Amino acid sequence: MSEVLAAEHPAAHRWIASERADDLAMTQAVADPLFTGFGRRWWVALLITLPFVLWLFGAIGWLFYRGIGIWGINSTIVWGVAIANYVWWIGIGNAGTLISAMLLLTRQKWRASINRFAEAMTLFAVAIAGLMPIIHLGRPIYAYWLAPYPNTMALWPQWRSALVWDFWAIISYLLFSLLFWYVSLIPDLATMRDRTPHRAGQLLYGAFALGWRGSAREWSRLQTLHTTMAALGVPLVCSVHSIVGLDFAASLMPGWQESIFPPYFVVGAMYSGFAMVVVLAAAIRWGLSLQAIITHRHFDVMARILLMASIVMFYSYATEWFMGWYGGEHAEREAVRFEFTGTYAPLYWALLACNCLIPQLLWWPFARRSLFILLPVAIAINIGMWLERILIVWNTLSHGYMPSLWRNFHFTFWDWTFLIAPLGLFAFLFLIFMRLIPSVSMFDMRELAHEEAAA
Amino acid sequence: MPPLKELPTRPSPAGRSKLNRRQALSLLATGMAGGLAACSKPDEQILPYARMPERIVPGEPLKFATTLALAGIGRGVIVTSIDGRPIKVEGNPRHPGSLGATDVFAEAAVLSLYDPDRSRTILHDGAIAPRGGLYRALVTELSEARSSQGKGLRLLTGRSTSPTLLRQIDELLEAFPTASWHAYDPTDDENARQGAQLAYGQPVRGIADFAKARVIVALDADPLGHGPDQMRIGRGYATGRGDANAFSRLYCLESALTITGAKADERLALRPEAIERFAAILAREFGATTGATDLPERERLLLQKITVDLNSHKGEALVVAGPAMSREVHALVHWINAKLNAPIRLIDPVDRTPSGKQAGSLEQLAGDLDAGRVRQLVMIGVNPAYDAPADLHFKARAEKAPFRLHMGEYADETADIATWHVPQSHRLETWSDLRASDGTASIAQPLIKPLYESFSEHELLAWLTGAEDARAYELVRQTWRSAAAADFEAWWQRVLHEGIIAASGSTAVSLTAPLLPPLSVAEPHDKPDDEISLVLRPDPCLWDGSYANNAWLQECPKPLSKQVWGNALALHPDEATRLGLTSGDVATVGANGRSIEVPVLTDPGTAMGVGALTLGGGRQKAGAIGNGVGASAYTIRTSDSSWRLSQIAIKQTGRREPILTTQNVVRTPEDVRELYPQYRVGQSLPPSAAITDPPSLMPPAVKSGDGHAWAMVIDTSVCIGCNACVLSCQAENNIPVVGPEQVAMGRDMHWMRIDAYDHGAPDSPQLGFQPVPCMHCEHAPCEPVCPVAASVHDSEGLNAQVYNRCIGTRFCEANCPYKVRRFNFFGYADGEEYGNLGAESYRGQKNPEVTVRARGVMEKCTYCVQRISGARRTAERENRPLGPDEVRTACQNACPTRAISFGDLNQADAEINRRKSDARHYALLGHLGTRPRTTYLSDVRNPARSDSERRI
Repeated sequence: MSEVLAAEHPAAHRWIASERADDLAMTQAVADPLFTGFGRRWWVALLITLPFVLWLFGAIGWLFYRGIGIWGINSTIVWGVAIANYVWWIGIGNAGTLISAMLLLTRQKWRASINRFAEAMTLFAVAIAGLMPIIHLGRPIYAYWLAPYPNTMALWPQWRSALVWDFWAIISYLLFSLLFWYVSLIPDLATMRDRTPHRAGQLLYGAFALGWRGSAREWSRLQTLHTTMAALGVPLVCSVHSIVGLDFAASLMPGWQESIFPPYFVVGAMYSGFAMVVVLAAAIRWGLSLQAIITHRHFDVMARILLMASIVMFYSYATEWFMGWYGGEHAEREAVRFEFTGTYAPLYWALLACNCLIPQLLWWPFARRSLFILLPVAIAINIGMWLERILIVWNTLSHGYMPSLWRNFHFTFWDWTFLIAPLGLFAFLFLIFMRLIPSVSMFDMRELAHEEAAA
Repeated sequence: MPPLKELPTRPSPAGRSKLNRRQALSLLATGMAGGLAACSKPDEQILPYARMPERIVPGEPLKFATTLALAGIGRGVIVTSIDGRPIKVEGNPRHPGSLGATDVFAEAAVLSLYDPDRSRTILHDGAIAPRGGLYRALVTELSEARSSQGKGLRLLTGRSTSPTLLRQIDELLEAFPTASWHAYDPTDDENARQGAQLAYGQPVRGIADFAKARVIVALDADPLGHGPDQMRIGRGYATGRGDANAFSRLYCLESALTITGAKADERLALRPEAIERFAAILAREFGATTGATDLPERERLLLQKITVDLNSHKGEALVVAGPAMSREVHALVHWINAKLNAPIRLIDPVDRTPSGKQAGSLEQLAGDLDAGRVRQLVMIGVNPAYDAPADLHFKARAEKAPFRLHMGEYADETADIATWHVPQSHRLETWSDLRASDGTASIAQPLIKPLYESFSEHELLAWLTGAEDARAYELVRQTWRSAAAADFEAWWQRVLHEGIIAASGSTAVSLTAPLLPPLSVAEPHDKPDDEISLVLRPDPCLWDGSYANNAWLQECPKPLSKQVWGNALALHPDEATRLGLTSGDVATVGANGRSIEVPVLTDPGTAMGVGALTLGGGRQKAGAIGNGVGASAYTIRTSDSSWRLSQIAIKQTGRREPILTTQNVVRTPEDVRELYPQYRVGQSLPPSAAITDPPSLMPPAVKSGDGHAWAMVIDTSVCIGCNACVLSCQAENNIPVVGPEQVAMGRDMHWMRIDAYDHGAPDSPQLGFQPVPCMHCEHAPCEPVCPVAASVHDSEGLNAQVYNRCIGTRFCEANCPYKVRRFNFFGYADGEEYGNLGAESYRGQKNPEVTVRARGVMEKCTYCVQRISGARRTAERENRPLGPDEVRTACQNACPTRAISFGDLNQADAEINRRKSDARHYALLGHLGTRPRTTYLSDVRNPARSDSERRI
């Protein structure tokens, strides 16, 4: 593929690493690969992810056929990998909208080069996350009972349950994310409609572009709508993960019933989400040769956010420990002791290393700008955040109030399956997305280029 | 697990014809033609009852009194039958061996009844044979025997107390004067019998009254443990623990932890030799001359306390010795008891024939077999090929008898070596009679027609005496005809209804003072540390192994270790360390040149120098459930030392076999203090730690004063952890078994569990038991978290689970502080049963009043809501209010010590309200604000104090 915009080092502008990036070059850099195809690299990647997709759907079929006993959950630890995955994926799904909405409202222009695929990431992650609570059910066929629909049983959901709140949180977040993403996609869809050489593309992009002509009035309406939605989105981002936090906090169990959980979950979500954006940005930048648009400075900014979040996470953990001790409750202290010394202690120490210790590397500007350091750090954060979620589930349930029923979780093949295979599905969906839709917001980038005086 | 066994797998020697291809094809064609011709359904008419049979109302339970046996001893029960299917066993309050309670074996009997692995047909050399063939063979053999006066005829039974069977044995021995009768029970206490012989010159049996005993000294005995008398002794023990001013004290010296040791006020773990020495020195305190010398410090202190206590409670003090004690010690105990005027009634043994004949031993039989003196060997209800001591080589020797007839409920190991096998009817299928340990007789009446073509042992004996047409019913009635008053039919009806034959108990025999046996007390020779004695025990779940194919019992957690699906060698942790073993290591246990491999389980309650192992494992032909579970202790058992093997060798094998348990024994002191409060008698209790209401913004969850308010109080001080409630709950509520693989995954389905708490010092464990059903919290944490309102509260305070509504989020169990909810990970009761438990016949046991839960659904204790509903219907029909203690839950009914009470808080005169006002009353994790309806009375122990602070 041709590089329309060659990246320069050091970057010529703040957010664009090219001396000249006029509108045409910017558009071509993003849109042209979609018309010419990505070549072998893309196909190979797709073929690698495809088995994971099949594996996941096969596993879901087997799960429905055999029942959730195929997982390592037991009478005491009734939750397991599905719940941890759910929280983790929701967390990943948090960053996209957060980046778009929060950074839009705070006028962080650099978001332009990453918000599109970050939002796509959100969509896919939330969709996968939404799958988890359903397959986690003992009787998934009745998952729709969570919805308040008129029925002969004259029963509504039980509104006091955090799971019902969750249901609404996920649904509304998913719908919102989809709309928000779509709204900001319309001008680019119109660009695609106008540029695509294929008839099918013209029809398809044309249909979704909703007749966008790029008039000043349309731009004005779009911006109003987008900003308004962003203002709606920020609280939603916070609420969705707060409510996930409430799944645990609104309980009675030691290690769960903590009022810090909602904010701590939101920060945790942002943390893992940004880490995932870093990983994806690196992949897209390399895959689509967008070095000129996604610059080292972008990574630097995101790394700063990661560093900040890691400190907040450490603070949250420390609060948990302190309150466990300060509260004086035997079970709470025991829960903290178990975290550090119990069956899963190695994992807990690994969690602390991944989430608190390793990200401290990012204090060094060099580390923030070197993908060879930043990428492993981001991956470590994602691993650490998954460990955090599984340990929240395991530690409390393994070591609750009744010592007679303290048990350990036995990881089975199917636990591994539901941990790994969704990653494949995510990558698969993301590859499809890259192939069909401009991964970077072209109109935002053009605007940025003008502001940066690169155009 | 081997596959489902449906038919005998050995080909019939007679039917082994070699088919050639042509014949095979023609048979195939004939079969197909026959199948086609026969495939239409035969015409049949289905008519409703023209006249309703008396008493049978479809769906209405009927209750019948009958008698079940454990080790040949009868225990009266009342069996509930619905639409002709016996589904639940309850105790018979009139019967002295039951007193209204049950034990695990009685509860599990209904499952065994429906066991598809039971023997279904007569087998000849392992192949299905017609009944006529057996008759012909019997006629031949009996005519041969008759000609020799029965010289070669040997009858082997289990311990039998059945008056009818004993009468028939008498008749048999009359018909064949030179034949002989042998009895063998692997749980027999030969030393006790010989001890009585030594002391009194005759083998009397002592029936101790534990209710009257204020000081009990158990010398390696486990009177509270599982056995035929557990319910009677348990009740007696509980009676003695009620009144704080006359609180009994239980001393226990034992080699390995037992239920008695767990409940003891003073316990000392010693190797059996040391306990025997201790007994001798105890006798010295009562004037016996023994050559014994001093005791180590701890034992000396205990001896002092025991002596003082015994002396100050003459007439109310009791010493009991266990089967591992030598006969001299048993005699000595008789002598001490006589000195103490202990509340013991001595009776004649109940297993003699009317003419006073006593069964010979298995050793004699084995000798006869070996010498070729046996031609016809008839074995009824025994399984010596599995459970005979190894040194008798029974299996090999039995083959020397040409005619070997085995009757048993299963085509088991012995059926395998028999030439003929006759299926024996289950106790609930046939008429019989049995005596309780005190001699009280009762009739065993059938609840159901035999499911398979099986026979009663009475019928088989009648065949042997030439009466082929005799029916068990007539044989039993014949026995009692003379005992009855003039109107036999009326007497018979009354006896059947009451489940007990009044005044049939043995009267106490008057005896002269017992002799002091010659005591040869071993000096406290310091045995080398590496010498280990193996103590054998009946299994608290499988008994002698005959219950091995009962899945409920296999999955019933053993009271002290919580082990399921297997047995293990208990060793003191230090001992295990010395041997280089840890829990779960497989060790080779060798004695007298024989050895078994068994996993090790460390238990701080085991004495140093002792290994403890239960019987009942390692069955080869028990059935689909019991085959190959655990290790068979019989493999190393010898006839001269049935319960104790000295100088055993324990070696590592290097293999590991995880011990399957359903829960942990709690030993961390802080947890024990919080969850299992325990006091000494007379100690002033802290102000009731019961339910306090922390300030809350929540409205009261349950409005009281509105109808009933169900609640349960469990007295942990008398709970002996016997599991009767667990099994009763399982039977009542259709609780499935999950199987060993699922247990290994950490899954189980019991709605009720018994938590064990060790509240002793680290070196002297003292276990307490706490049955945990659902707490039915008023502020139930499970309810607000359920997204679909499947967990809801009813107006009477029940925390109900709506199975149909449950979608299986499992949030309720995650949020349950007590962890009492159980999730159906697979269709444990509904399509994915363990082993053969999904077999059609098992469905007969299901209680139709309780839903069989499907996969993916949470379930839990309902306070037996079906019983509440049943009692309410009855009361409404009779137009009266529900009585204060009218509803009885399954667990409550089963409890031998009456630790569980259930009732309506709104009825002031209910037993439960009396218990709630007890100072010992507390709520489990009450500080969480859950306001549990199930609450507890804390444990009370009565340890002996030093002389200065002595109270009693």
